[in-house]
Amino acid sequence: MKQNEKPVRLTRLPKALGIALLAAMLAVPVLAWGAETPRRPNIVIILGDDLGFADMGAFGSEIKTPNLDSLANDGVRFTNFYTHASCSPTRSMLLSGVDTHVNGLGNMNEWIAPNQAGVPGYEGYLNNRVATLPQLLKGAGYHTYMVGKWHMGKAPDQIPAARGFERDFSLLDGGGSYWGMTNITAAVPKSVFTEDGRYLTRLPKDYYATKTYTDKLISFIDANHGDGKPFFAYVAHQAPHDPYHLPRDWRDRHVGEYDKGWDEVRQERLKRQVEMGIMPAGTELAERMWFVPDPIVLAPASLYILGKKMELYAGMVENMDFHVGRLIDHLKKIGEYDNTIFVVFGDNGAEGTDLFGMIAGSPGSRDNLFAAINWSQTHPNAWGDPGTWVGYGPMWAQVSMTPFSQYKGWLAEGGIRNALIVSGPAVKRTKGSLNHELMHVADIMPTLLEIAGATYPKTLDGHKVPALMGKSWGPMLAGKADSVRTDQDYLAWEVFGNRAVRQGEWKLRWQIKPYGKSDWELFNVAKDPAERKDLAAERPDKLKKMLALWDDYVKANNVILPSRGPYDTLEKDMPQRVTVYPGFPPLVYQRQFVPPKEMLADPKP
Amino acid sequence: MRIDKYQMNPGIWLGVIVATLIVVGTLCPSQTQAQVPARFYWKTLSGTNAVPLIFESLSGNTNPFDPAHTVLAGADFDATLTLAGYARFFPLLDRAAMAAILLPMGRISGDATVAGNTVSQSVNGFGDPMLEFDINLLGPKAQMNIPDALRYQPGFSVDLLVDLALPIGEYDDDQPLNIGQNRWYGRLGVPIVWQLGPWVPGRRTTLELLPAVWLFGDNDDYMGQTLETDPMFQIDAHLTRDFTEHLWGSLDGAWYTGGQASVDGVEGEELDNLGLGFTLGYSLNDNLNLTFGYKSTLNDDAPDDLRMDMFMVSLVYGWHPMIEGSKRLQGEK
Repeated sequence: MKQNEKPVRLTRLPKALGIALLAAMLAVPVLAWGAETPRRPNIVIILGDDLGFADMGAFGSEIKTPNLDSLANDGVRFTNFYTHASCSPTRSMLLSGVDTHVNGLGNMNEWIAPNQAGVPGYEGYLNNRVATLPQLLKGAGYHTYMVGKWHMGKAPDQIPAARGFERDFSLLDGGGSYWGMTNITAAVPKSVFTEDGRYLTRLPKDYYATKTYTDKLISFIDANHGDGKPFFAYVAHQAPHDPYHLPRDWRDRHVGEYDKGWDEVRQERLKRQVEMGIMPAGTELAERMWFVPDPIVLAPASLYILGKKMELYAGMVENMDFHVGRLIDHLKKIGEYDNTIFVVFGDNGAEGTDLFGMIAGSPGSRDNLFAAINWSQTHPNAWGDPGTWVGYGPMWAQVSMTPFSQYKGWLAEGGIRNALIVSGPAVKRTKGSLNHELMHVADIMPTLLEIAGATYPKTLDGHKVPALMGKSWGPMLAGKADSVRTDQDYLAWEVFGNRAVRQGEWKLRWQIKPYGKSDWELFNVAKDPAERKDLAAERPDKLKKMLALWDDYVKANNVILPSRGPYDTLEKDMPQRVTVYPGFPPLVYQRQFVPPKEMLADPKP
Repeated sequence: MRIDKYQMNPGIWLGVIVATLIVVGTLCPSQTQAQVPARFYWKTLSGTNAVPLIFESLSGNTNPFDPAHTVLAGADFDATLTLAGYARFFPLLDRAAMAAILLPMGRISGDATVAGNTVSQSVNGFGDPMLEFDINLLGPKAQMNIPDALRYQPGFSVDLLVDLALPIGEYDDDQPLNIGQNRWYGRLGVPIVWQLGPWVPGRRTTLELLPAVWLFGDNDDYMGQTLETDPMFQIDAHLTRDFTEHLWGSLDGAWYTGGQASVDGVEGEELDNLGLGFTLGYSLNDNLNLTFGYKSTLNDDAPDDLRMDMFMVSLVYGWHPMIEGSKRLQGEK
């Protein structure tokens, strides 16, 4: 018999009554599991770094993710869930529940603009004016564990141990080797790790990020298991972020499968998504990025090389899924699975930018020298080893974000809309069901506080704490409502100068050329999730209303558009944007003419 | 923010592809010590052509043009040998196959004692051309396109090898020492390539074995006598390792047994010899590969023991029309 199914014996009655009383005092108003389970549930957040909307089997992927899919089958999949466009902003909202421009990640640490420097909300780390989810859960009697990527500050008062995690094994940087401490550029050559609040001088033997994170978490859980306290585990996997470092036996599970090219794989994923009900029938694929070729024009060697990158990416996802499975199996083994809530999602859109190109710099630069020493193993047979840097590029990032437009770093749907799975005792909706209502990463904090029976404070350490921006999913998870938002609620984003607002079916978007128009665009993303048709000119009334929401967002959150950013020279650097029409130009798609057989003849003498 | 121009440019991978092609760079079935260099039986893209040119400087008590290694006790030869040839790689029943022809040429000088008579002799000219056919039996299928070539990893590969020498080289029946052998001979072998570890240029390691048997016809006019040679068994072994993407080395060993020769029924000694050596290989450019090697027999103290040492330099030019065309379009030539 599983632990949470044990009958309450008379000898335990006083304790059970005490828990019931405590639960009542902590005012758990909506979620129903409090009365049905003997103790508060454990919470596990599994975050995939750059994991795309369509990368799990449960969201239409051919990538095999049986363990993540099992969570989907036990829980609910959400198709209209928003993160931010890049990692640390998303993570900051996840753990603080407030907007990036308030919590310190108004811009990524790496790109703070001159006019943002020194302004509260733009510290580049999770500032100390916000309360954190682990901090509050710890206060509410939870064990709090973190493994994986932090990316929200490295100073002693910014690291996981200082922000509420009781145990941690964390990569403080935004990325780097999966095999060691090699970081990305000459400026920051060494990754910084902490374990239980101490900076590591070296990594454990046999370190491999995804495996080690899982091993550590299991050891944290076991160390306190049986003391009666639930735990909160933040599993911030580095996978599948590039570089695609992967043990050898995970590299060859899709050999040749992607040589057919990205268009076909996108179509296949969309077909499955429609069949599964994830996307509505008639959904169009987003336009292939204008600088990405149709695979049919490429030679087999190119398709092989580019396909092999996707093979590695698929391996990264499958390896992560395997280790998630190890965690699930362990929780089942110790009797905690049935009392554990899982929240699974990717932190932003899939990575379509040539990060290696940025890292390697130009010949003669310090970064180029660093890359020559650390990242120059380029042979395909070495991909996955230390010293290799493989990212799969914009064409496969679009596959990962099927059917959406663009990818990480941008505020098109492909940058911010991601797959979400929630399972566990809090979920009373039909197992394996889908929900298409508007949700946001900042909702997770109020949801989990409610589940844990914790309250969000008005002040912390003597200063006022900003109000939570999200909405608890409690009523929705309990099956008492489909959505936690009204038609008037809106979401908004700004990063790198790009902006967006979502309200109901509508989305207002400003992106720098050529990814956008350097002007406001308006989309009905319910009917046009691929953001193909800009309705700004057709719907000036809606445009005006959405612009008012944007202004409201700016004022409420002190949004400062950056005076400099990563995209400033993009229009000049990139191929001129043109519309991609299927079948154009005919020059490419025409076929060899074959005359009628009866009209064939040899030349006359 | 940059787009991924690197990934979009298939030409970037030409270097990799060409590097894969020139693994045939050591193509040179040297008759000397009946041993071919390491990495000889790696496979490449079907349609690849190669022209080897091998220079060898040898000394010892056997005729280096004679793969039977008939020991001439008390003889002391110096030889300069060149092998030139042509090889082509092609698919046969989906398996990787290679056909080659090699022509030895050069000069030998030294003292030879035959039937109690010691003579000083110097000969030069063309030796017996050798035809070689090799087909892979176990291992990756034939490389029909560039993706196949890029995916190639030998793993544990086993080939069937057939050599046949044509007795048309220069031969003087009055001389004990000749460039041509005046008899048919050939070899059946089973080349084995065993990949140890990753197949990444700069880190490749292989153990290569070639068990083979040499079969010899009779020379009915060996200074008016008949020279017969029993089958000779041979095992070549190479432990090879990349030092960089373009530089590799190998430890080479060869063991021969059998091959007892008799002249008009007078039997000589059976061979039971061990040779050791090393090879260094370097890719000079996309098409040209250079190797340097030294080999010497070990158990060679007795007068009847095979005694030979050899310096070898080889140049191999390899090309594939498709790759050459791609390079022209890239402006790399």
